[in-house]
Amino acid sequence: MAVTSGPNELIDPTGRRQPLLRIFITPAAICAMIYVGAMMMILQFSVREFIPGSLIPGGLTLANFTALLKPLYGHVFLNTLWICFLTASTTLIVGYPLAYALVHVRHPLMKSAILIIVITPLFLGEVVRTYSWIIVFGNTGFINSILMGLSLVEQPVQFMFTTFAVVVALVHVTIPIMVIMLATALAHVDRSYVKAAESLGARPIRAFLTITLPLSLPGIIAGFTTAFAWTFSAFATPQLIGGGRVNMVSNLVYQLGFASFNFPFAASLCLTALILTVAVLALLRIAVRPIEKIGPY
Amino acid sequence: MKRLLAAIFAMSIAVPAHAQEKLVVSIWGGSWRDLVADTVAKKFTRETGVPVDFITGGTIDRLNKAKLAKDNPESDITFTTSHVGWLYIDSGLFDKLEMSKIPNAKNLVDEARLSPYHLGAWAYVYTIGYRTDLIKDINFKSWNDLWNPELKGKIAAPDFDPSHLIVVSAILSGGDAEHWQKGEAKLKELKPNFKAFYTDDANSQQLLASGETPVQDVLSMNAYYMVGQGVPVTVTIPNEGGVLGVDSVAIMSGSKKTDIAYKFINTLYDPEIQANIAQQKKGSPVVRNAKLDADLAKLPGVFTSPAEWKRQIIIDPKLRAEKLPEWRKWFSENIMN
Repeated sequence: MAVTSGPNELIDPTGRRQPLLRIFITPAAICAMIYVGAMMMILQFSVREFIPGSLIPGGLTLANFTALLKPLYGHVFLNTLWICFLTASTTLIVGYPLAYALVHVRHPLMKSAILIIVITPLFLGEVVRTYSWIIVFGNTGFINSILMGLSLVEQPVQFMFTTFAVVVALVHVTIPIMVIMLATALAHVDRSYVKAAESLGARPIRAFLTITLPLSLPGIIAGFTTAFAWTFSAFATPQLIGGGRVNMVSNLVYQLGFASFNFPFAASLCLTALILTVAVLALLRIAVRPIEKIGPY
Repeated sequence: MKRLLAAIFAMSIAVPAHAQEKLVVSIWGGSWRDLVADTVAKKFTRETGVPVDFITGGTIDRLNKAKLAKDNPESDITFTTSHVGWLYIDSGLFDKLEMSKIPNAKNLVDEARLSPYHLGAWAYVYTIGYRTDLIKDINFKSWNDLWNPELKGKIAAPDFDPSHLIVVSAILSGGDAEHWQKGEAKLKELKPNFKAFYTDDANSQQLLASGETPVQDVLSMNAYYMVGQGVPVTVTIPNEGGVLGVDSVAIMSGSKKTDIAYKFINTLYDPEIQANIAQQKKGSPVVRNAKLDADLAKLPGVFTSPAEWKRQIIIDPKLRAEKLPEWRKWFSENIMN
């Protein structure tokens, strides 16, 4: 928090003058204003009537929200939450050992290799990454070719257009974020605690479970929450891997907004999805509060 | 110094006025942009000295941009689908066309005379395309063949536009585009046969090439592209006809280069250019005097006589623009989810 002291400078909570702070926060403030403006536009579209054959919405209505009460939309919202949960959980399970290795491996080359493997997906576009999974999961793809080549199956196994394939591809997209957040948390765990435990006879697994894991809980919670929220807005991956059979909220927004020109209904979906995300993350925060307290102690 | 300035001034007024400006064309990216650049734009620039710039994007992205730019359009000419053209018209984004300024348009087929504001640029059909090596016992004489139980989990259709299958189902059930509800029950019976819904041309081609969906409600041009790539695909037009698609061209309202925009559209309807477009994309020319190779003319989806045009299923573009949101919503709720 900062307080104003004069026309061009701010004072931070420790009482020090920060003459450049106002200049530094200006770009963020401008971005925030644009973002709020865009959100206001979505809000006003969501309560306007859709007129078929026209791009200009009609008068005020709540029909866009009452239409969301259809079971189909509830199913898509629940499916989205389920996919987010699966993706965040799997990313955590796969990402934790990678982050642990990244922090604890001493050989610089090995450390660099892990870092490159982890962050490479960030340098590829989401569509490119998704297409690579189509090549892996397709009927004539990498996995089915091996399975059929080894005569383990007679017909290709159906991976494409399934929740499993969508989650695997989303984990690939999400893992760099998770590993970076976990590695940051693990790097802050004081190793002398672990050494103290080991010197008192604790085996490595016990030392990990009683010291490293609890102390890295803030990173686990932050990583899980970020992965969950990040996945909620996934579009290209469920669109291409799901093939219209595995739909998330963003796909529905695209189908109804962009392909049907029904922007008011798409806006109501966006707004509901945003409220749902905030609500779920708040619930998650409340649920993990008791666990989070373990960390500092 | 004065002499130098005078010389520069003299040179600047010596250059023809139109040679200093560019005509800006809004179109889809990729092969569509290249198609127009290599055919119409090349000839147009050669004849007028006016270079052509392209702005590219998806159908709806460009519509939204045009709406935001309204009285100061980014482009002078826009290519879009015929039904989305009606959304431009309803928003006052297209100029009313003066047909006397497009002499080549006198040869336009009736199906390309879309409205006083937009005209057809080329045509294609959405029809049945299938992998000959994977589907051997069905010859798709009728759209009804899509309902064959042997095709369970084998069909793909576009997720962005269900008009084709909705209207086909209506026709097979005794209805039409306006009374599409008659086909609801029939289309629901097709649900088990769908395996996926493709998002764009590339996705359609990829699903066909990999054999993931060996049967598709497919854009004829995309299917022919796959044939050209060596994929064993057969395009067939059922007895009821393919669903005709006409992409359109129009001049943006507020364009300050309408004179050269008319010249561009007139070049588009040059019979040689139309034949060239048909050859490159394996689609239909929209002028009657385009001369096509015999091999091209006999392809399903390439129409060279009025009777062939009339045999196709034509959904009125204005009705389609009005109904598409309803169709899309129904399709999402009842077929895709």
